[in-house]
This record gives sequence, structure tokens and C-alpha cells, in this order.
Amino acid sequence: MKSINWTGWLVFAAVVVVWEVAGRSSPAVQFYIPPASQISGSLIQIIASGEIAGHVGTTLTRFVAGYLIAAVIAVTAGILLGYFPLVHSYLETLIEFLRPMPSVAIIPVAILLLGIGDGMIIAVTVYASLWPILINTLDGVRHIEPTLIHTGKTFGLGRWRILKSIILPAASPYIMTGLRISLAIALILVTTAEMIAGGKGLGFYILDEERSLRNSNMYAGIILVASLGYLLNRLFLLGELGLMKWRRGLVAEEVQ
Amino acid sequence: MRAAKLNGVLFLFGLFFLWEVVARAELVNPLIVPPLSKIFESFISLLWSGQIPLQILASLKRAAIGYLLAALVFISLGIVMGLFDRVYRALEVIVEMLRPIPPPVVIPVAMLFFGLEDEMKVFVIFFSCAWPILLNTMDGVKNVDPVLLHTARTFGLSRYKIIGQVILPASSPQIMTGLRVSLPVTLILVVISEMVGSTDGIGYFILDSQRRFRVAQMYAGMLSLAILGYLLNQLFNVLHRSLLFWHGGMLRRSR
Repeated sequence: MKSINWTGWLVFAAVVVVWEVAGRSSPAVQFYIPPASQISGSLIQIIASGEIAGHVGTTLTRFVAGYLIAAVIAVTAGILLGYFPLVHSYLETLIEFLRPMPSVAIIPVAILLLGIGDGMIIAVTVYASLWPILINTLDGVRHIEPTLIHTGKTFGLGRWRILKSIILPAASPYIMTGLRISLAIALILVTTAEMIAGGKGLGFYILDEERSLRNSNMYAGIILVASLGYLLNRLFLLGELGLMKWRRGLVAEEVQ
Repeated sequence: MRAAKLNGVLFLFGLFFLWEVVARAELVNPLIVPPLSKIFESFISLLWSGQIPLQILASLKRAAIGYLLAALVFISLGIVMGLFDRVYRALEVIVEMLRPIPPPVVIPVAMLFFGLEDEMKVFVIFFSCAWPILLNTMDGVKNVDPVLLHTARTFGLSRYKIIGQVILPASSPQIMTGLRVSLPVTLILVVISEMVGSTDGIGYFILDSQRRFRVAQMYAGMLSLAILGYLLNQLFNVLHRSLLFWHGGMLRRSR
């Protein structure tokens, strides 16, 4: 286990103290940076009153739905495109055309097509999270050593078995990279869409509190989103560790 | 290879053609999906009237200031944190606490402090580019080959010279990685912050067109954004190659 970084926590504590003192210095400053104690008070209050639970639940549901749908579509498409060069050659230009556009630009179109609501927010999350997973999966499949596939064929494996037992495991490190990048992107898109067109969710809540001049609540909301992001990332790393266990031994052998 | 490229282009044009036909036949609501020809028409006229260039210029100005400011501050900070373990340990906790904040969530804070002015967008971009640039620079500096450092010291180079002539060049590929990752982030955040709180800029333009049901204009704005993203990426590649022309050769030699 890593030892605790005392210096780092000390500096952090100092920042909190400075924040607290500055916030208490005058009402004008307090408006912009409410004292740390007030923010933690707000945080406890919005959690205890149950006010925030609905928003967290909404954001989390949209996030999970968008992310999972994107993962399924993108991994499938990435494997197909990597496995069948002909299909890839048809779609390559389209992908290169769509990819450089900042994904959030799709939000107005989604509002137009799907109106304001969960469907729209999930759709833009899917769209934005697709790209990193798709590109990485495609890369992974194309970088598989041909010997592996040839060996599989020599042993008379069918297409399906080759896909399941050779391609998927061999490409999985790349797929994981894509999935990790998209984790952050999905959270960005959900919160953004909620700010622009949501009546619910953490993104909406934070912006709404700022507009209602309840700045202490706004900061409390940001702490919550950050914790959510942190937890999701932790969860992902844990899952990755479990899924990719077999690989550690493999890599270690190669190094020796 | 060339035949493959041709396939892709043909497919794309096929898709365009299909869009045009479907939209003209009004198989879908023409208010939502106008024919492509209308979108191109709108794009060209907005380009000539100077409206799109004006909006893009407004966005680019914000993006450039935020990006360059972030590069300046966080490359310097990354070098200091990479060189001095004490500084790194002192700031580690704060960095780890700020990093999981999704950048768009910072927009309300920026609005609180700066209103809807340019500074608001600049701050949001500055914040969101911070982590890729800082962490990559730090990693690059930490992983400089110790032999290089020892050699420089043996030759009696001063601290500043070691930083300028050994550490900076040796870590520049990783610094470049951070800058490259930050480029699309910058573009995304400028668009988001303009959608949430602005009266001009390409992000505002697209969302505003949607709200006024000027759909062709909205698609034209998106098209210009795609072109902008593509051009910025190409520009970065050219700069990258001319700045790091020596690196590719070095990698080949060391193999």
C-alpha cells in the first residue's frame, strides 16, 4: 500500500483554511466563495433532505444507459470493421468526416429530433462515447498478429470461435483503453446536455443553483459530481483489473 | 489502398444522395431534415456574408487564449513538479481532487466570477486543458533518461542550461502528447460554454439557430465546426512535425 501523503493533505488543509477565512472576511467575498464550513453544511443538508438524491439518480441512469449502449455498439462495430476490411473501406471516409466535429455540436440536432428529455441526453452520450471505443477497438483488431488467426484457422476453428477465442481477447487491451477514455466523455456529455436542456440531473442542478444565487449549493453540487466521477473511475479500474487478470501473467512472461 | 479510399468517398456521396432524395420526397419532416443542397446553400451564403467566419473567429479567439494560457502555466508547473518531488507531493492531493470534476460543471463557477464575458470561456478552457498538459509534462520530465542528466552535470552545465537543453527537449514528445489531447478538449469546451452562456461564437450560433428553427443554418454551423476541427488537427500535425522533426530519427536510430 502507498503511504499517506501528509504534505499533500497538509497543503490541502491549508487551502481549506484560507478559503474559510477569505469567505468570512466580507459579505462581498462570501457571495463568490462561501466559507468551506457553509459549503459542507449545504452538502450535508441537500443529502439529508433527499433533495439531491433524485438528481444524482437521474444523472447516473442517463450515464449508465448511454455508456453501455455506446460500448455495445462501438465494440461490435469496431470488430466488424477490423475483421472485414471491405466494410471498413466503405465507412472510413464517413468516420473521418464525422470524427473531428466536437461531439457536443450534436446536442441541438438531438433536441430537434428527440425533444427535451432522457432520450435526447442518452442519445448524445451514446454518440460522443462511441468514437474512442470504436477507434480503439478497430485499432486493436487490426493489430492482431496474423499468426494467431492463421493458427486458429489451421486448427479448424470456425469464424465464430476465432472471433470469441482469439480476436476478442487479443484486442481487449485496446478496447479497455477506449472504454476508459469514454468514461470521462460520457460524464461530460450527460452534464452538458443537462445544463443545456434538462429539467433534472446534476448538471441542471448546479447551473440552476448558480442562477438562483445559491452559490453554496452550487459548490456542494460540484463536490458531488467530482465524487461521482472519481467513484466511477475507481469502479472501472477495479473491473478492468478483474477482467484483465489473465493478461498480467502473459505480459510478465514476455518480459522475462 | 487507393481503391479503398475511392470506396469510402463513393459511399459517402451515396449517403449524401440518399439524404437529398429522402428529404426532397419529404419522407422525413423537412423542418428537421432539410435537403443537403439547402444546407450547402445556407453554408455558402453564411460563409460569404461573413457570419460564420465572424462567429468562428470569436470562438477561436477564446479557444486560443485559454489553450495557450493553459500551455504556458501547466507546462511550467509540470516541469517544476517533475523536477522537485517535494512540490509534487505538496500539490498531489489538490490535483487528485480537482481532476475528476467534469469540465462543463466548472461553467457555472466561471459564470459566477466572470459573467458571460470572454474571460468565462477562457477560464473554462484553461481548467479543462490543465490535466492532460500537466500530467503529461510531469511524466515526461520524470522519465528523462538519467544518463542524459548525469552527462550534462559532468560537463558542468548550470541548472538553467540543463532544463533548457536537456530536460525540455527530452520530455517534449510527451509535452506534445498533452497538447494534442487538449486540442479537441478545447474545441469541445468552447462550444459548450458558448451554448450555456454566450451571445456569440459558433456554439451559440448553432444552438440559437435550432431554437429559431433555422435548421439549415444549424447544420451549416455544424459543418463549419467539423471543418474547423479537421483544420486545427492538421495544423497541429504540421507544427508537431516541424518541431519534433529530430525525434522520429532518434527513435529509429535507437532501435
